[in-house]
Amino acid sequence: MSTRNELLKLLADGGFHSGTDMGERLGVSRAAVCKAIQALTDAGVGIHRVTGRGYRLEAPFRPLDRSRILRAVVKHGLKWKGGLDVLEQVDSTNLELLRQAQTAPIDGRVCVAEAQTGGRGRRGRGWVATPYRNILFSIAWRFESGSALIGGLSLAAGVAVLRALRAYGIDGAALKWPNDVIWIAPGILPNATLAHPCAAGGRKLAGLLIDVRGEAAGPLLAVIGLGLNVRIEARDAARIDQPWVDLSEIAGQAIDRDRLIALLIREFVEALRQFECAGFAAFKDEWQHHHYYSNKRVGLARAESPTLYGTVAGVDDQGALLLRDARGRVQTFHSGEISMRVAV
Amino acid sequence: MAMDIRKIKKLIEMLEESNLAELEIKEGEESIRISRAGSISPPPIHHHVVAAPAPAAPAAAEPAAAPAVTGHAVVSPMVGTVFRAPAPGSNPFVEIGSQVKVGDTLCIIEAMKMLNEIESDKAGTVKAILKENGQPVEYGEPLVIIE
Repeated sequence: MSTRNELLKLLADGGFHSGTDMGERLGVSRAAVCKAIQALTDAGVGIHRVTGRGYRLEAPFRPLDRSRILRAVVKHGLKWKGGLDVLEQVDSTNLELLRQAQTAPIDGRVCVAEAQTGGRGRRGRGWVATPYRNILFSIAWRFESGSALIGGLSLAAGVAVLRALRAYGIDGAALKWPNDVIWIAPGILPNATLAHPCAAGGRKLAGLLIDVRGEAAGPLLAVIGLGLNVRIEARDAARIDQPWVDLSEIAGQAIDRDRLIALLIREFVEALRQFECAGFAAFKDEWQHHHYYSNKRVGLARAESPTLYGTVAGVDDQGALLLRDARGRVQTFHSGEISMRVAV
Repeated sequence: MAMDIRKIKKLIEMLEESNLAELEIKEGEESIRISRAGSISPPPIHHHVVAAPAPAAPAAAEPAAAPAVTGHAVVSPMVGTVFRAPAPGSNPFVEIGSQVKVGDTLCIIEAMKMLNEIESDKAGTVKAILKENGQPVEYGEPLVIIE
């Protein structure tokens, strides 16, 4: 474990710690402590320095703890041998697993990181997350069947996230096709009203992106990437271009990321096993039940094509969106971004 | 399997009498696919096609046959939207004239936020790109012609 992570563990109590004291406890020089503090500050961690007293976190938090996550996975009853990487910084957890897959067969492997330098969001956009405070999670899974058969995987992944949140004690998150996890604001909330006056379609809590590699006829490797907002600081919020919410606001208290990651591992592994056997059919009802946009009038924005309007008529057996137009004709869509249509 | 041997035999006869290369029957959750000898491989994902004629060939004195691009077509394994570059604003994976090796990425097909990298299964030169950025693609439609 690096000096940076060891320092964060000492600072996690929220109290002041002098450089000399921390150096002694970690068995490193005061200069090494200073350097690590600087690196953390550069990574976006807010640290107060007060002469004569030492360093203190602006807001106390615990860095991720790999062995604590693994113990929680066992405690939650999951038998899984995929392996877990807990990284301080990486370009993207999905890309990390894709790189690993080139040199070794990986199946069920999970990668989480405290910070991403190249996190990817919706088509070409970045994924913004305050370092050390959020969940940046990927899981790799091998499928023997071809890409045509894993159509609903994307939607099943959204269901897995909802299940994990519920197991943690957070009820009421919803889905937006294909797999955004959203929160419908119960009342007026500061970042909904000020930054985004039109948050009627819900605020984004988590996003999923899946990279698929391999033969068309199978086998193939799917890497499911999840960005889950746990705590977004104001300086990062300015770079988010859509209505958003984080778990700290929803829960009103600090979130135990280790425990939530353990629950995500359990729910993803179990959902992927279920998907392998039964496909999207095993998830369809649950997905539809949580789809906030069911029967709502929406716009569907597509790459290089004009936006279409219609009423959401559910999804087909592959997870594709069914949209009913004004004439009652139902069309199927595999790509695009839906948004609530403002009444005219 | 509820489909018995006699039924399968009958299907084989039907295939032999027809000029079909392959026959697939679904009954509830069961399905059977019978292919002619020689085509043991899974459904032909990559095949030989003649692409649309190159546009606006200079008018020749006598009407010549439209110049056709022939070569190896890489077809889409799925329904989705084609993206020719890893991200908006970055360079496309390939252009006409690009040299590609087996395993090189030709494009990405996105469906429901699943990004499928489509790799070349043939080395050669990109002769034609049949799907532009953001265009929808159907299962089995040719994407790129390689010669």
